[in-house]
Amino acid sequence: MTERSNPFSESGKTESSLSITVVGASGDLAKKKIFPALFALFYEDCLPENFTVFGYARTKMTDEELRNMISQTLTCRIDKRENCDDKMDRFLKRCFYHSGQYGSGEHFAELDCKLKEKEEGRLSKRLFYLSIPPNIFVDVVRCASTRASSKNGWTRVIVEKPFGRDSESSGELTRCLKQYLAEDQIFRIDHYLGKELVENLSVLRFSNLIFEPLWSRDYIRNVQFIFSEDFGTEGRGGYFDNYGIIRDIMQNHLLQILALFAMETPVSLDAEDIRNEKVKVLRSMRPLQLENVVVGQYKGHSKSGKTYPAYTDDPTVPKSSLTPTFAAAALFIDNARWDGVPFLMKAGKALHTKRAEIRVQFRHVPGNLFKRNFGTDLDKATNELVLRVQPDEAIYLKINNKVPGLGMRLDRSDLNLLYRARYPREIPDAYERLLLDAIEGERRLFIRSDELDAAWALFTPLLKELEEKKIAPELYPYGSRGPVGSHYLAAKHNVRWGDLSGED
Amino acid sequence: MSSLSSSTHCRSYSSSAYPASSSCNYGHHRTAISSISLKQLLPRKVSVQSNTKARPNVVPIKDGAVAATVASIENETPSNKLGDGLLSITLPEEFKDTASFDINKDKFTVSITVVGASGDLAKKKIFPALFALYYEDCLPEHFTIFGYARSKMTDAELRNMISRTLTCRIDKRENCDEKMDQFLNRCFYHSGQYDSQNNFAELDKKLKEHEGGRISNRLFYLSIPPNIFTAAVRCASLSASSANGWTRVIVEKPFGRDSESSAALTNALKQYLEEDQIFRIDHYLGKELVENLSVLRFSNLIFEPLWSRQYIRSVQLIFSEDFGTEGRGGYFDNYGIIRDIMQNHLLQILALFAMETPVSLDAEDIRNEKVKVLRSMRPLQLEDVIIGQYKSHTKGGVSYPGYTDDKTVPKDSLTPTFAAAALFIDNARWDGVPFLMKAGKALHNKRAEIRVQFRHVPGNLYNRNFGTDLDQATNELVIRVQPDEAIYLKINNKVPGLGMRLDRSNLNLLYAARYSKEIPDAYERLLLDAVEGERRLFIRSDELDAAWALFTPVLKELEEKAIIPEYYPYGSRGPVGAHYLAARHNVRWCDLGLEQ
Repeated sequence: MTERSNPFSESGKTESSLSITVVGASGDLAKKKIFPALFALFYEDCLPENFTVFGYARTKMTDEELRNMISQTLTCRIDKRENCDDKMDRFLKRCFYHSGQYGSGEHFAELDCKLKEKEEGRLSKRLFYLSIPPNIFVDVVRCASTRASSKNGWTRVIVEKPFGRDSESSGELTRCLKQYLAEDQIFRIDHYLGKELVENLSVLRFSNLIFEPLWSRDYIRNVQFIFSEDFGTEGRGGYFDNYGIIRDIMQNHLLQILALFAMETPVSLDAEDIRNEKVKVLRSMRPLQLENVVVGQYKGHSKSGKTYPAYTDDPTVPKSSLTPTFAAAALFIDNARWDGVPFLMKAGKALHTKRAEIRVQFRHVPGNLFKRNFGTDLDKATNELVLRVQPDEAIYLKINNKVPGLGMRLDRSDLNLLYRARYPREIPDAYERLLLDAIEGERRLFIRSDELDAAWALFTPLLKELEEKKIAPELYPYGSRGPVGSHYLAAKHNVRWGDLSGED
Repeated sequence: MSSLSSSTHCRSYSSSAYPASSSCNYGHHRTAISSISLKQLLPRKVSVQSNTKARPNVVPIKDGAVAATVASIENETPSNKLGDGLLSITLPEEFKDTASFDINKDKFTVSITVVGASGDLAKKKIFPALFALYYEDCLPEHFTIFGYARSKMTDAELRNMISRTLTCRIDKRENCDEKMDQFLNRCFYHSGQYDSQNNFAELDKKLKEHEGGRISNRLFYLSIPPNIFTAAVRCASLSASSANGWTRVIVEKPFGRDSESSAALTNALKQYLEEDQIFRIDHYLGKELVENLSVLRFSNLIFEPLWSRQYIRSVQLIFSEDFGTEGRGGYFDNYGIIRDIMQNHLLQILALFAMETPVSLDAEDIRNEKVKVLRSMRPLQLEDVIIGQYKSHTKGGVSYPGYTDDKTVPKDSLTPTFAAAALFIDNARWDGVPFLMKAGKALHNKRAEIRVQFRHVPGNLYNRNFGTDLDQATNELVIRVQPDEAIYLKINNKVPGLGMRLDRSNLNLLYAARYSKEIPDAYERLLLDAVEGERRLFIRSDELDAAWALFTPVLKELEEKAIIPEYYPYGSRGPVGAHYLAARHNVRWCDLGLEQ
């Protein structure tokens, strides 16, 4: 925090000005995430002295109306509420609105005029946040870049997923963006990389002695990346149905975490060094095979008088849709560190819990003395490191421990770090971190083009095959633990899912 | 919580036959190895002879002497006879509980004689521990407890005395009074001199009465001053040994005050007892977290790879008390903190910590490994020791006395009440790793813990980027033995927030939060082990010799040179010399940092 706000308060005080334009300002993401994150940054004094926030969308709206709309979603940090209203007012005064078409150069030229006014001749830094459907990405980038670029400072563009739907479309999108933007102007957001525990993954690995020696096929039996939501598409399946859970969660969020988890030690913590290592991991991976994937789709389910709809009950979803709302996959990294270690992924909607976590299952203890003496199968009770990304951030390490008492019974206990108990401060939203990073030009948590290409290369063949062969997803009841197929997939690789073992 | 259990609440350390077993299984499944195969390897014949001499008419059955008579008594003996291994028929749980108990209960008996029954330890620890075992159904069906001391007392008076210190488990209080009455009914008193064979012969008669012709197993707990150890052992062994079962003797520290006196004591004991009859108690080995040390190391994958000089920078064994001798310095002054705490408790923990993986969890395998560690150690050098003595101190209007203010302590006493030492194990695993010990009375807190400091992260990326010295913030594993049992691992972690700040957080396992059961006292475990013939937690003669060999030279030097202890105020953190000692070995005491 302190390290980061300093540059602004000192050097950037008067001579430069930051403009953040949220393109698609009336959309859901803008309202729920982007404006609140910007306010949180302002509230924490992380924005430079001179900054302007512009909303850009097709709707006609006054500045006042935009402010009114935004203000409904702003909240102050729970842990320091002082001057909240005052701060909110000051923030809202920096917010303006410009109505325009996404494909209109002229409208962006008008925006440029307004921005210039606010910049008052200072060095201008412009950040465009594209919170719009993918089909208009390129139009907006063209207009913004040609008509509303900063003349004397920098211009950066934040893009949200989807980045295409396979290697080809993604390559095409990148090529188009690059007509107007240089690689270092493109900030591809994967908001999972902004999550506290994902950020902490590298800290754990590289600032502690005790983990790195264990971080290889010698000690790790498998790694599991688990994402689950306890609700379905609920009437918003239109976008989702075109992509499916593999594109929506696995190919980006989970794969990114995998790459961070498995990468070699980078030369430094600089963005290019880290992204170089991530690309190396992705390029060492085997493209996903159909036999290593299980797909599922939730079906209707009645529980204690309540009825939960099936995916295809969603009116925005075609009745015959085969789009997976659940998928489990086993991936492999064919390098010296990870050869033979299954990396399991699981992602699904309408499951029994809501959670995102990383589970590292260690191998069994070779020649376990206690096993010999007890005849029980301690090989099943291996150590496990769990990073719970959400909710209730936590790190815990499952160890075998003696149950206190006169006998000699072992059980698994946890060495625990519950964030809630340890850190009283509210954990910032991923968008705050990512916006601040984009402002500061820190690219560590954004996806580089070659990373994106490598990620698609792993999933595209499989996705095509699923669609060509019209593989029918295994149906699972809304609110269940997902299709049993995922257990068989795990079993095939001699693994058990850590999240369904009865204990947490 | 998923229990990987292989047994239930009381026992079954190393049964190989039962995946699960009943409560206190009187050795139905004691380890086959420790009581049988091992015995067969050990000086069987000698013990037979000596016993034969004493009681020519009976078949001598001492520990593990299953041999010839087994066939007839196989099903009866409580503790270990039985051929645990042999008996380990795979009885279903229920059957075992009911059936085998019914068969056995009338055939054998255990008599526990507490010699020195009126003493403090007996009242505070031994009788309560025996009751706790009874309360938990861990004692055999038929047992008798005898108090033996010089004072004249009736059985009722003894019961009355005992009953004041008995408490029921906090977590299950049902039938407490009833259980207490039942227990007290099994308690008797015999008054006698500690060195009178006649008096012990009288005891023998009384014991026989209670045994009522069952196979008799006898355990003597010597809770008496060391100068009468040998006399009591002689009398008990000659006049009150079991005729057809085993006879075991539990001895408490001090085991001598240096190599010579310790060896003399061992020799004297061995005139009357076999090695496998002697149970030298070190009650620290009975502490839950010390027991757990081997579980942590050997049943988890993640610790053992780190358990060497490659990753561990230092190991610290810390013991502190927040009170002084308080008028009971007479005994202490003759020994000092090094003999009282370091040479036994801390050194035993060190040996357990540092030993190689044993072949099995059997007593002899573990003790063999411990002896190897002790024998690989350099004898302690004077320059690696700091001694201190507490002086009086006034704080908030309260005056705390100096050690020499204690009336039972000579005014000019140089006896250390504090000591810090650096020890080294010259083997492949631990070469160059300082093992620091610190023990003291009248310090600012009361605790016993093991701290494992790991090395710095080589080429730490975060060091480079932040310029802070993360090399100071190394990982640390802390095993807090008492109070508030806990295990925690200090890790560097990102402080949540937009910046990138690291701090040390703990991966925690607090026993109070995790386990609802009360943790049994160390004496319960050790008494039960002695009854069952489990020797894992008792000190073997060669261990004791090796331990004294490390400390005797420096103890002599301290005394010969009349080294003056560094004075530290009552209630302080101890002499600063301890810091210089640590610094010389490039280590910091972790218990005195700002964070714990």
